[in-house]
Amino acid sequence: MKEPLIRMEGVSFDYRLNSEEVVRVLRDVSLDIYLGEYVAIIGHNGSGKSTLAKHFNGILKPTEGNVYVAGFNTKDDRYRREIRRRVGMVFQHPDNQIVATIVEDDVAFGLENIGVPPREMRKRIDAALEAVGMSSYRNRPPHHLSGGQKQRVAIAGVLAMEPRCLVLDEATSMLDAHGRREILQVLRRLHQRGMTIIAVSHHMSEAAEADRVLVIEAGRIAMEGPPREIFQRQELLRRLQLDIPVATRLAGRIHERVPDFQPDLIHPREIVDEVVRIAGKKGAAG
Amino acid sequence: MAREFELTRNITVGQYLPTGSFVHRLDPRIKLLACGILILAIAFCNSYGGNLIVLAFSCLLFRLSRIPLRYGLSGVKPAIPFIVILAVLQLLFYGDIASGGRVYLEYGLIVITSDSLRLVIVSALRFIEIIFVSSVLTLSTSTTQLTHGMESLLKPLGYLKFPVHEFSLIMTIALRFVPTFAMEMEKMIKAQASRGAEFGTGSWWHIFRRTKEMLPIIVPLFRVAMERAEDLILAMEARCYTPGGTRSRFRTYQTTFRDGLTLLFILCFSLLLWMYPFPY
Amino acid sequence: MGTVIEVEDLRYTYMENTPLAHQALAGVQLSVEEGECVAIIGHTGSGKSTLIQHFNGLLRPQQGRVRVDGQDLSDPGLDLKGLRRKVGLVFQNPEDQLFEKWVGDDVAFGPLKMGLPLKEVRDRVRWAMEMAGLSFEAMKDRPTYALSGGQKRKVALAGVLALRPKVLVLDEPTAGLDPRSRKELLGRIEGFNRREKMTVIFVSHNMEEVACLADRIFVMAAGQIVAQGTPREIFGSREVLLQHRIGAPETVEILYRIQGLGYPVDVGAYELDSAAAEIVSILRPQGVKSHGPGI
Repeated sequence: MKEPLIRMEGVSFDYRLNSEEVVRVLRDVSLDIYLGEYVAIIGHNGSGKSTLAKHFNGILKPTEGNVYVAGFNTKDDRYRREIRRRVGMVFQHPDNQIVATIVEDDVAFGLENIGVPPREMRKRIDAALEAVGMSSYRNRPPHHLSGGQKQRVAIAGVLAMEPRCLVLDEATSMLDAHGRREILQVLRRLHQRGMTIIAVSHHMSEAAEADRVLVIEAGRIAMEGPPREIFQRQELLRRLQLDIPVATRLAGRIHERVPDFQPDLIHPREIVDEVVRIAGKKGAAG
Repeated sequence: MAREFELTRNITVGQYLPTGSFVHRLDPRIKLLACGILILAIAFCNSYGGNLIVLAFSCLLFRLSRIPLRYGLSGVKPAIPFIVILAVLQLLFYGDIASGGRVYLEYGLIVITSDSLRLVIVSALRFIEIIFVSSVLTLSTSTTQLTHGMESLLKPLGYLKFPVHEFSLIMTIALRFVPTFAMEMEKMIKAQASRGAEFGTGSWWHIFRRTKEMLPIIVPLFRVAMERAEDLILAMEARCYTPGGTRSRFRTYQTTFRDGLTLLFILCFSLLLWMYPFPY
Repeated sequence: MGTVIEVEDLRYTYMENTPLAHQALAGVQLSVEEGECVAIIGHTGSGKSTLIQHFNGLLRPQQGRVRVDGQDLSDPGLDLKGLRRKVGLVFQNPEDQLFEKWVGDDVAFGPLKMGLPLKEVRDRVRWAMEMAGLSFEAMKDRPTYALSGGQKRKVALAGVLALRPKVLVLDEPTAGLDPRSRKELLGRIEGFNRREKMTVIFVSHNMEEVACLADRIFVMAAGQIVAQGTPREIFGSREVLLQHRIGAPETVEILYRIQGLGYPVDVGAYELDSAAAEIVSILRPQGVKSHGPGI
């Protein structure tokens, strides 16, 4: 069995509220992330998902247990740079990740930090901007960009560093539906090219894109499995105050009256396909 | 999105106007140095003759960079009250101190001589010239170029343990956030006004009241600024930023023969200006 | 029930007479009846924000007319304070605007500025907080910085509700909220409209939300109202959706695709149960007790 890119063993994390109080945010979490996977971590606000995400690149270190990235222990500060070169992270606020006055310079920032030679930088910046579809915006200032565009620039800034894994910590929460679609499209393309993706979110449309979904509740992993299976546990999801995709809910209702109709659908097009499968082509349905 | 906010459209940090002229294409470090040298020369220029030449030269600079003169004039506009106040003060008080030249007017304590008149006119001219020259600099050089140019010029200070890159990064981040904060402030003013907040009631001496009125703007903006700073730190660290660490540079500027020639010309021009004994 | 907001041929240009002039509103015409719940949808840049800023006097009409509760907003003697008591405007991400240390103080800001006596301010704060879903006793002395994002938003909402506006205008009220908070907020907004009889105008990109809350929808594009109607009329009209590239609730998208394949479905059935019923009706034709695929 191949080695996981990220391994968490028995990780617990305590958040210090003040000098006396401490709150346990993560409880004994163990998980493995393999190269090339697309993993979604979903949970309601306060479930600990953001805290979990910040352990993947060593921003937070476990109070108990260990996190290994490509074999490096995140607790060891000597490997901080190695870890962060392999696991890149994009955050929630599009504006609060861009430091430079124009797009191109911001994408260069990470490369300057790791000492990439200038000629190599040009190639990487071009490739990164191309991958997110922002090549024509290279000389624009950030305040002329929409939320989705800014997030794409943030992703480019991380991509230029050629990581193996991209972690998105609620990266679409502040975007409108259009912006969210833009980002999901970018992620899909990156995943097809082999990037490992970990998306932390409370949006079901993002979970539907993943190979594997982990549901987090009160600092623990409550459920794990492919999205199709997870979305069938409607009672549990409702209890955890999470959404169920419209397509799944629709399929469920239809299934109640038409037992042959598959209930475990997650995409709108699957509903259409299923209707065609059962009713036959146009005209056959009487 | 920036369209919906009235105030912020006026914010053009550095007011960069790309026209592709030869001035635009000069190395920003040369431009910064040239600007500094010119300003020094202007500061020491006391004659009518000298100032007329410099004024003509600065208008020529606008021409050379293909920037309409009205941009320079609109830069002078906000300075007019200061120029006027300075002129009045000099007219009223200078004539007494360094008496020289013919006396034109004497009224009690107020003495106006040809010398004081010259000082007034020359001061006003120098003010305008300095504004013109700085405007050409900011209009022909993008903020990116300016910050990189400055960082490059300050590099020698690194040997004195001055944190050159950190300083430059602070300036870049500050410049990058000016428009964002302007939009934020406008939104905050509108949001608080929508729930009954008023700003600017009471006359200017009601300092206490006016400051208290600004709290609904200042406090949230400050808090947002702090949150931004925290987020930025995380994002920068996630991209391997280490303060004081070794780093490479994306943008490098090559000084060309043309840049060197320009700098030489400016130097000669400034020296001549300084040394030539203008009759007036 | 009268017309509470009337807009006639409203035009507005930012930075008039400068090279950067941008016409945000190019002749908007609409009217909102008292007690209605109305949604304004449209792409970014269609003029939605500019339009709603006219409702409470933040922007004054350059051309055309805006009347709120009978009062013409072009009137130079306009009482802005009074207008802002009638029309409460909640911006996007309103939690940013909290500035007082204690929750109760922040909610009380509006009523205090109105010059109301202390007792009435207290009553209003209590009412507003309960309306927004915060317990007055438990929350009024909590520090604002120690709240979660969802709670802060409720405090901001309470701050506007405390003015007891006749009309509540909300710009993207559920932006950034998680599913639970979103459901809760929508429920409350529905309550303001149905129980408290407030006229509600909201801007949104979320079509499910729009379909569920709104009595009427206005579609904006390039500074004008290009379509208006009930959710059924708007989402049920393929031409409107395509012409203005409006998204629709997922149920509607699915029904359109099925209709496109030749099946007879009512595309206006945007609610989940109705959409399911439509689909069931083509899988199990009327009167046939089906034990398998429709025969």
